[in-house]
Amino acid sequence: MPLNLVVCLKQIPNPDLQFQIAPDGKDIRRDVLNYKLNGADEYALEEAVRLKEKNGGRVVAVTLGPKRTEQMLREALAKGADEAVRIAWDDPAAFDAGKNARLLAAAVRTLPHDLVLTGVQSDDYVNSATGGLLAGILGLAHASVVTRVAVQGSRVEVACELEGGLQRVYTLPLPALLSIQFGANTPRYAPLPAIMKAARQPIKELGPAALGLSNWEAVPLPYAFGIRGLSPPTAKGHAEMIAGSVEEQAKRFAQVLREKGFVRR
Amino acid sequence: MAGGVLIVAEHLERRIAPSTLELIATARPLAQALGDERNARIAVLGHGVRDIATHLAGYALDVLLLDHPALAEYTGDGYVQALRGTVESTKPRVILVAHTSQGYDFAPALAGTMDLPLVTNCLAVDLEGDRLVATRRLLNEKVQAQVEIRSDRPIVVTMRPGAVKAMGPARGMMTVTEVPVTLDPSSIRETFVRLERPQVQDIDLSTADIIVSAGRGIQKKENLALVEEFAKAIGGVVGASRPLTDMDWLPKTRQVGQSGKTVRPKLYVACGISGAMQHVAGMKDAGLIVAINTDPTAPIFEVAHVGFIADALKLLPATLKELKA
Repeated sequence: MPLNLVVCLKQIPNPDLQFQIAPDGKDIRRDVLNYKLNGADEYALEEAVRLKEKNGGRVVAVTLGPKRTEQMLREALAKGADEAVRIAWDDPAAFDAGKNARLLAAAVRTLPHDLVLTGVQSDDYVNSATGGLLAGILGLAHASVVTRVAVQGSRVEVACELEGGLQRVYTLPLPALLSIQFGANTPRYAPLPAIMKAARQPIKELGPAALGLSNWEAVPLPYAFGIRGLSPPTAKGHAEMIAGSVEEQAKRFAQVLREKGFVRR
Repeated sequence: MAGGVLIVAEHLERRIAPSTLELIATARPLAQALGDERNARIAVLGHGVRDIATHLAGYALDVLLLDHPALAEYTGDGYVQALRGTVESTKPRVILVAHTSQGYDFAPALAGTMDLPLVTNCLAVDLEGDRLVATRRLLNEKVQAQVEIRSDRPIVVTMRPGAVKAMGPARGMMTVTEVPVTLDPSSIRETFVRLERPQVQDIDLSTADIIVSAGRGIQKKENLALVEEFAKAIGGVVGASRPLTDMDWLPKTRQVGQSGKTVRPKLYVACGISGAMQHVAGMKDAGLIVAINTDPTAPIFEVAHVGFIADALKLLPATLKELKA
């Protein structure tokens, strides 16, 4: 059975970088960042493309964010997505997972969907909330932390990772939402011709009207959300930090190992 | 008694998850802020789990037992539907859930289904008047955020495991109340098939006294040889952070962290591991933690006892030389 697949992608600042707090204390400084496709979403995208290759169908990649996210959507097109949609809400931070999920849900409603895939978490805000929220809002059956997916007729069998290496296997009916875990597959590289082609493909933009809203602030929310402030984490570390050249550090490391009795002499 | 705090207990194969006892510790000051320290309840969902409910009543909390054959195995739908009734009848201000695979499966779905506010993966939560203030960590633990939610609806909160100290049992037993569960089994869409256990063929990290773990900072698979040589020299075994086992540089059995092994060796050397929460959860209780990382802001230094801002690929051979000298 050909599948209508929707994969939700997020572009995030590379979390390996250093971050500075913006002067107003409500965001990080964004003028100095470089962005990439969220790690878990790479696996969600790959899983969607593999499901299409196996079962037939189409993959639509959806994101929420400023113009810069088009680069990520083109990457998704080059890796096998058939269509790319950007919800054109330009908030560079978009801290509120609840609002993001409601906007994504409104966009997914406009698309045929048998399976909606997300990454298990975004590495910038680590909420692990968007997938479950989307499922709840859209009334979809769902499974989280999915490491294995097999579509069997009108149902899908999934393995979900629990703590300590256990996996819980379920089947659920389509349409369903799955949040995909890191390592679920091996994401492909985009071939050069596909990259060239993707550069010319149109990206569909959804404004507030397309989502039934008068403006971006009109999303009905059962709460008011605010960022009180960002700060460097309060250092709770007590590590003895060893400075110096590598040779000096090595001397101290060896000394520590000897003092604590991990090596003799 | 309406309002207050509702905790959702987590259990698997008749064992209570340690994170549930942490939620109890989190709930008490919240209930106090709401005017009554005792206005906190814990919901136990399952089938034939009265012993778990009775055990939790020993933590000086009223226990709501939601027993239904359709809850015998965890499903997201089962939890959302059963909790819906309890949330509607007890109208809690705050619903506390652990940020575990199971917790962040059903908590956001509950919030989405019932149109409730949600804040997840919190280190701490406070109530200030009509506001809930949550402390969270962003961007690989490098930024701390305080988030506030104002709402007259119950607020769903997931707490990061290990963020607070677990509660010990209190004096005195509270009551276990069996709550009728309104649940239509045919509306539970997920069908449980089985639990799969990890295959144990490899070494067992959880029994090792010395673990030298490698992370993305070692850059290339070939560099694992260096980590192995170092581990061997000090009588240890090699572990890894998640990205390395995801890339199949090492078998899954070597993964230290929330989704892998929890270890308590006498010595843990973290080589090029940034220290994401998921890794730290699995090794923070090691006797001596030595961290080697080129990034001085890497969160691994927060849990380390000894820290080297260095490239492990240079420091390990230099230390080996030093040990042989």
